[in-house]
Amino acid sequence: MSIVVAGGRRGLTDPEIAAVILAAIPDKPLETNRKMNYFVEPRGRRLNEYEVLCCYTQPTPDWIPGGLDWGDWTQKFHGGRPSWSNESTEMHSSDWHKHRDPAFRWHALYVKDKAEEWRYTDRFLKAYSADGHVRSIDPIWRDEVLGDYLGAFGFSEYGLFNAHSSVVRDCLGDTLRMSSAMIGLDKVDNAQMIQAERTFLAKLVPGFDESTDVPKNEWTKGSIYKGARETVEEIWQGTYDWNEILFSGHMIYDPLFGQFVRREFFLRLSAYYGDNLTPFFINQMQLYHSQTKGITTDMFHTCLSADPTFGEYNDRLMRAWSDKWLPRTVNALKDFMGIFAKIPEIKGVTSKDAIEAALERVFDDWQRDYADPIGYKVDTSAFIKTVLTGLK
Amino acid sequence: MAISSATKAATDALAVNRAPVSVGAQEVHRWLQSFTWDFEKNRTKYSTKYKMANDTKEQFKLIAKEYARMESVKDERQFGSLQDVLTRVDAGNRVHPKWNESMKVISNFLEVGEYNAIAATGMLWDSATAPEQKNGYLGQVLDEIRHTNQCGYVNYYFTKHGQDAAGHNDARRTRAIGPLWKGMKRVFSDGFISGDAVECSINLQLVGEACFTNPLIVAVTEWASANGDEMTPTVFLSIETDELRHMANGYQTIVSIANDEAASKYLNTDLNNAFWTQQKYFTPVLGMMFEYGSHFKVEPWVKTWNRWVYEDWGGIWIGRLGKYGVESPASLRDAKKDAYWAHHDLFMIAYALWPTGFFRLTLPTAEEAEWYEANYPGWYEMYGKVYEEWRARGCEDPNSGFLPLQWFAENNHPIYIDRVSQVPFCPSYCKGASTLRVLEFNGKKHSFSDQWGERMWLSEPERYECQNIFEQYEGRELSEVIAEGHGVRSDGFTLIAQPHTSKDGKLWTLDDLKKIGCVFADPLKSL
Repeated sequence: MSIVVAGGRRGLTDPEIAAVILAAIPDKPLETNRKMNYFVEPRGRRLNEYEVLCCYTQPTPDWIPGGLDWGDWTQKFHGGRPSWSNESTEMHSSDWHKHRDPAFRWHALYVKDKAEEWRYTDRFLKAYSADGHVRSIDPIWRDEVLGDYLGAFGFSEYGLFNAHSSVVRDCLGDTLRMSSAMIGLDKVDNAQMIQAERTFLAKLVPGFDESTDVPKNEWTKGSIYKGARETVEEIWQGTYDWNEILFSGHMIYDPLFGQFVRREFFLRLSAYYGDNLTPFFINQMQLYHSQTKGITTDMFHTCLSADPTFGEYNDRLMRAWSDKWLPRTVNALKDFMGIFAKIPEIKGVTSKDAIEAALERVFDDWQRDYADPIGYKVDTSAFIKTVLTGLK
Repeated sequence: MAISSATKAATDALAVNRAPVSVGAQEVHRWLQSFTWDFEKNRTKYSTKYKMANDTKEQFKLIAKEYARMESVKDERQFGSLQDVLTRVDAGNRVHPKWNESMKVISNFLEVGEYNAIAATGMLWDSATAPEQKNGYLGQVLDEIRHTNQCGYVNYYFTKHGQDAAGHNDARRTRAIGPLWKGMKRVFSDGFISGDAVECSINLQLVGEACFTNPLIVAVTEWASANGDEMTPTVFLSIETDELRHMANGYQTIVSIANDEAASKYLNTDLNNAFWTQQKYFTPVLGMMFEYGSHFKVEPWVKTWNRWVYEDWGGIWIGRLGKYGVESPASLRDAKKDAYWAHHDLFMIAYALWPTGFFRLTLPTAEEAEWYEANYPGWYEMYGKVYEEWRARGCEDPNSGFLPLQWFAENNHPIYIDRVSQVPFCPSYCKGASTLRVLEFNGKKHSFSDQWGERMWLSEPERYECQNIFEQYEGRELSEVIAEGHGVRSDGFTLIAQPHTSKDGKLWTLDDLKKIGCVFADPLKSL
């Protein structure tokens, strides 16, 4: 038959073409190794689909540890700066391709989860509104705390989201890059869901202001988020080392400030003020926090701290970064204490003893999960004492 | 409204209206532009000579969760087809062998482009000031991860179900051996991520995506399907649905700088450089993959090129941007000449260097030779005759001791590498427009094949310092290089690359190559 195929004829289904193809196919496969990326060291016992689809997609040369390519970059920045370079971070690694998302999420799995969360959010909001739950929310909590201060917290999440842009550009490994993009997207998702909650309330409560004007004013000019804003600005645009951005954001600021604000303030207190809506959204954010924690502790503990050659050096650097970012985060928490003067007091819930207990939970968690693994000695009670001085 | 009256109003409203209410993506997105704030250090970490406007909007207006929903639906269709019906009908195996080999290259090289586009759009996300524009780039970051995984999935699928897994199963390691790799990195890797952020956007979105993804991702599906491959259309057309958003991002990049004075000074030069950069590689490589990597032919590459590159992009797409001062690249005319012959020239060199590939190549059959001559008059005299000679000397037979590379040496036709594009060329035996230009700088010689690349190098030689394969491998014996680059199959000695796809043909081994004693030399040293 002619080798010219016109009219959209398909080789799989057109009998004439298919016969030619079948006649050309080897009688048995030419290669017996049907495992893609067989040369990759699996994290678990066997190479999984995530490792097949993600590992070594980055074409870095071998002078960036872990790279499989050779030679120089084919085009550089103006002036000759390389496309990717070891100098982009103070951290050292024997293999920048070692990181794995503990949940082994490649793109399809990641968006599948989030798509389900969106569909469920839609169903939940419809049920919530049809049930008239909104009537039970304390008005001050609803209009001031959710309207203004939850709205303002959205800017913290949005700023952290933007901090990931240069990480996504500069980091030195493929799995690192994909994980960084995903945890960045989760942060903008948080900011958007905070706005979604405020827009939802505006639909149900006549007069509720969904505009971002007041929250933005609170974030940029108010006292409650002053320390947080200054820290986020420094993480986002004041820091160039991509590892330091991830470390300061996800190993210091968010596990302390973010966890206190989300878990110990909005999530813990909302039920006391008749608010069953906010926990729905905060719990999504807590899921993302948990997944992010898995990712960043793998990056910094499993890979960099345990690096056979550079682990000790990396631990020292992480301790130095902790010294740098911890005081700023403590200051952010201290400023945030001002919010308790804005809400009706509930004994044993918003009183000092309860706040202190909440701070202890957050700092204890942080010490166990983030400080101890890098040998960082810290007196958390002194930090808590400092934070509590922010109570009005 | 006072709080108490608001509560009462809410209660009253709910008393009469309990209609289920939710929040749509657009209702959230409309606030996005206000999410940012001004502060002292708020500037990009990646300098650009252009200024992007603060109020730039995006066209697709997605929020994170809606993005995920949309992509997830597409994934369900795509992976459903692959894992269900296509597997049951043994589609992964029922592909013409020549096309099975082409997909080792096409899917893996596209994967590299998609992967680097993650970093490129990360840079643009950082560079843009408007939250909506950042959001558009963010969506693209996620898309590029998707496409990276999808391209990997094509090779993964062929590995599991196809007739020859070698090359599909280790392309990420073996791709670096051969002559097509460095040029691919220039267009699809460094060209997207290293430079002025807007210049990179022009490379990626305005040229790479708006121009070359049409032949690379759309036209390729017709060739694939004709040759029995239904996996590639299933995946690539799903990729293309995202590319539309990326083209819109490129368009918005231009809109965001349209009123900047720098645009009138630099934009058309950057566009011309980007177009030449991309076309210098894609025009010959895509043409070669389609025509020489298939058995069944859809149409001559030159026609595909004219439709997608010259008319659709150079005319319509760039025409739409005319109101912003954008002009068709000055190099488009020279590129049009390349579209006719450059892929024939490149195949000749690629075949001569076949052992360095991670795929099998096939010389044209008599039937194909007729097709080439009919569509490219003069083809036989230039190429067909040589292929007949190579075949007569046993180039496909491991016992022959003949590599086509020897023919180039015997006939004094040295092969050079263009320093800027990294594309190999043979100035004394080609029908394309390549001409040899050699310049010396800092004690090192550099070869160029065209005026446009030479101009780029003359302006900024420090950007194009990468050594080429002849410099890298100089003095080394061919089989050693292949072994070191892991270019062998699982038996440890049969080459992944082969000079034929005949099911009855013998396969070359490292020993067959070693017997020939081919040693790499740098042609610039003998000038």
